[in-house]
Amino acid sequence: MSARPSSRPTESTAQTLTDIVSVTYLNRDNCSFTEKNGFLGLRATIDKREASLWEQHLTTDEAAVGEKQELVLDRIFLSRAFPFEKPFEYISVFDKNKREIGFIRSLAEDFDETVCARLMRELEEAYYCPVIQRILSVKTQRGISYWQVQCDFGETTFSLRDVYVDMRKIEGPNGELRLLITDVYGNRYEIPNANALDRQSYRRIELFL
Amino acid sequence: MDRQNALFDSAQLAAEHKEQIKRSRRERLLTIDPDCATEDIVALFVFDLPDREADAASHAPRVNGLAVVFPDRIAVYVDGKSVRSFSLKEVTDFRVHVAVGSVTAECTVNGETQLICRATKQHANELGAVIKQLTAYRKSGVYCDDYLQHVACYCEHCGRPFLPGSAICPFCTKKAGVIKRLWEIARPFKWHLLTAVLLFFCITLVNLITPSLNRVLVDEYINTPTPETVSVSGFIGVIVSMAVVQLFSHALSVLRNRALIRSSNHVVVSLRELVFAKIQAMSIGRIAQRTAGSLMQRVTNDTVVIRDFITNVLPEFVQEVLVLLFISVYLFVYDWRLALLILLPTPFVIASFRFVRKRLRLLWRRRWNVGVRANSILHDIFSGIRVVKAFGMEDYESNRFDVVSADYRDASIKASNHWQTIHPILHFMIGIGEFFLLFYVGNRILDGTMTLGQMAQFSTYVSMLYTPLRWLSMLPQRLVDFGTSATKLFEIIDETIDIDDKPNAKTTPIRGTVDFNNVSFGYDNTTDVLNGINLHVEPGEMIGIVGRSGVGKTTLINLLMRLYDVEGGSICIDGIDLRDFSQESLRSQIGVVLQETFLFAGTVYDNIAYAKPTATRDEVLNAAKVAGAHEFIMRLPDAYNTQIGEKGYTLSGGERQRISIARALLHDPRILILDEATAALDTVTERQIQNALQKLMQNRTTFAIAHRLSTLRNATRLIVLDKGVIAEVGPHEELLRKKGIYYNLVIAQRQMSNMAPKKT
Repeated sequence: MSARPSSRPTESTAQTLTDIVSVTYLNRDNCSFTEKNGFLGLRATIDKREASLWEQHLTTDEAAVGEKQELVLDRIFLSRAFPFEKPFEYISVFDKNKREIGFIRSLAEDFDETVCARLMRELEEAYYCPVIQRILSVKTQRGISYWQVQCDFGETTFSLRDVYVDMRKIEGPNGELRLLITDVYGNRYEIPNANALDRQSYRRIELFL
Repeated sequence: MDRQNALFDSAQLAAEHKEQIKRSRRERLLTIDPDCATEDIVALFVFDLPDREADAASHAPRVNGLAVVFPDRIAVYVDGKSVRSFSLKEVTDFRVHVAVGSVTAECTVNGETQLICRATKQHANELGAVIKQLTAYRKSGVYCDDYLQHVACYCEHCGRPFLPGSAICPFCTKKAGVIKRLWEIARPFKWHLLTAVLLFFCITLVNLITPSLNRVLVDEYINTPTPETVSVSGFIGVIVSMAVVQLFSHALSVLRNRALIRSSNHVVVSLRELVFAKIQAMSIGRIAQRTAGSLMQRVTNDTVVIRDFITNVLPEFVQEVLVLLFISVYLFVYDWRLALLILLPTPFVIASFRFVRKRLRLLWRRRWNVGVRANSILHDIFSGIRVVKAFGMEDYESNRFDVVSADYRDASIKASNHWQTIHPILHFMIGIGEFFLLFYVGNRILDGTMTLGQMAQFSTYVSMLYTPLRWLSMLPQRLVDFGTSATKLFEIIDETIDIDDKPNAKTTPIRGTVDFNNVSFGYDNTTDVLNGINLHVEPGEMIGIVGRSGVGKTTLINLLMRLYDVEGGSICIDGIDLRDFSQESLRSQIGVVLQETFLFAGTVYDNIAYAKPTATRDEVLNAAKVAGAHEFIMRLPDAYNTQIGEKGYTLSGGERQRISIARALLHDPRILILDEATAALDTVTERQIQNALQKLMQNRTTFAIAHRLSTLRNATRLIVLDKGVIAEVGPHEELLRKKGIYYNLVIAQRQMSNMAPKKT
């Protein structure tokens, strides 16, 4: 994530690291998602080694044979490991006690279309982040800036305590400038490419860029 | 001082705000469902997101949601329609889940999770508080709506959203303006300032004499039509009086500057004191929200900018305005058409100031921000220099600093360039009248209606008129600089103190009985770190606090020191609520040794005597002895006079820790708090110190946090924290017999120490 120099010899340690840590990768073969009252649940087949962590959530069905056991959770949460770069890859699945069940490497590749769409919606709800289409006005007074914007869901206002701290700039490979804005309450807003904004909108924020 | 400066009563405003929220929500409910008018209402809260989003790519429109808690049920309305309701009897559990971009409030009904509502983050704090209160309400039937005064809302007057935790609109309540605030601070020096202004007045008048003398010189001596009659003594007299006028004006300037320098330095010092005292009075929580770099910038740089404004800009402003006034009056009396011609461009120039000011202000603010960032990166790198070196990241950090420096350079260049382009243009525009003047005066001399001396006098006055006008054209930039700094300063000064002493706070000496009564606390409203802590501690007890990392051990101690106020319940010392004690008195009777030891720049002696400057040398020696610090201090060549801290002798972790133990002991506390205080010591030294401590702390209360359980061997009782509650309490043996969490911790540590080679 941070711009570390990448030219360091990490391969030898990386191998040993993967050897000692076992990450459960969830996919269409070892798990399925359930839904009740709009909340996501999970049925997953996990390694016996990890089963001890989940005692009361295991199915009493002793027919589960071999090294595997089935885990049933009625409420699970998703969170992104790289929210800015890979919003739908490297998704951690955890329960309400914040215990991780496993990782999804890629929603699109590891799950069928309908499940993938449902999980994407779940993520979008948790990471609620409207896209700003037009900037109607930005007023800075006493160090606090007040924004009035046109979002994908309609017009809204928000304020930033410090534009330079609360607006993260991420430069894309093709010269696009992505802006991630966090307002005073912690609400997120996104401008996918500031350079593609209409002229007026761009001029309103030009000074902060 | 800050009390006097407060221009509004924030407590009263907050209370009014709370009532207003309740009223407007109730009205909203009645428009939706008039039948509710007769029913009791426990609470009303609002939300703004629909239950579900349309899909991953687009967001559904916001909703106008209202949830109402009746004594028997919760009803949820969306856009004026009732969508669901839960019977309170069937609900077993309330929860709030805070995600990155949204919050959901949920409840468990008949074993199934049900959604109450979904909202954006400005509702997070309120929903957290509501859920907390609902849980309490279900148990005790009491609902406390104190949190409402902090509920996010929009200002009635200007419609701007409030900042979190504030019910005060910065735009509508502080119209009093920065200058007025500044006057409050400058008032003690009003006589100095008044003298300065008077002197300015005199200097201006004196300076106005010179052009008249000039005219006399030209018309009556140099360019006189009758050179034969010129008296040499008169000629010399005029020149001498010009010199005297000059001398007089400069002498007055010296006096004026002295008066100004005196008052401005007083102002800057009192401003600094005010800001510094305010920062110190803020609670740890508030201070942690800001970086050390930005706070330092405020105390050092911003106060200087304000001093410069008071010493340089303000007096000059007075002087220039006076000159402008005098000369304009003269010119108008002399020839009003001419005066009008000269002053004609001024309004246009002033109008264009307003136009450029906004942009300039942003540019300058940006420069300020980049400056702060550069500072804090430096601060960061220097405090972490060991890590930087250890990983060989010097080049990376240099690059990082280079990038910010370059940013600062670019921001400065951009801001200055902008100004330097606009400024000469404005300059020229103001001076445009001069060309009209040349034409007009030239014509009159040719006509013979004006003498050369009169022309000299007249054009001197005109050029004197342009000086203030040009100076005034520089004013916007100075105002911008000043305004930026002043805003930043007053932002700090205006901050309300969240942990404050009561009007007649107690300063009684304490004995050491400590009671935690149902204490609950969280750093934010949505998650409780501690919940329902009950504990009674007798004086002289040593309480060991154990538990896994992040379980709230340090939080418990922060609460005991009142670095934060409890949210629910109370902490009492000798039966008196902590909040009734004066903080100074309380903390002077509590000794603390923290996990991270901090030594100030100074001698070893200064550092030990830090909290008790009146201590005798013998006391300091004794404290060092008990703390096991004496021996190593005596091995230092300068012993107790050794310079430590940033530039001095580098002490090891264990040595620093022993010095801070000595510091806490010298403090002679009634309650001693040890937060991993001996973690950096070997077990032998630790045991020695502990034995000494134990003797010393008889009849005094000790709270000790340690991960190494052997450290707590002497504890009278141990409390085991787990998931924010006290899971186990009792002496070591009792807890071992219980075979609970503590037993498992002990066993785990024993297994670890079995690494030592076994005897064969």
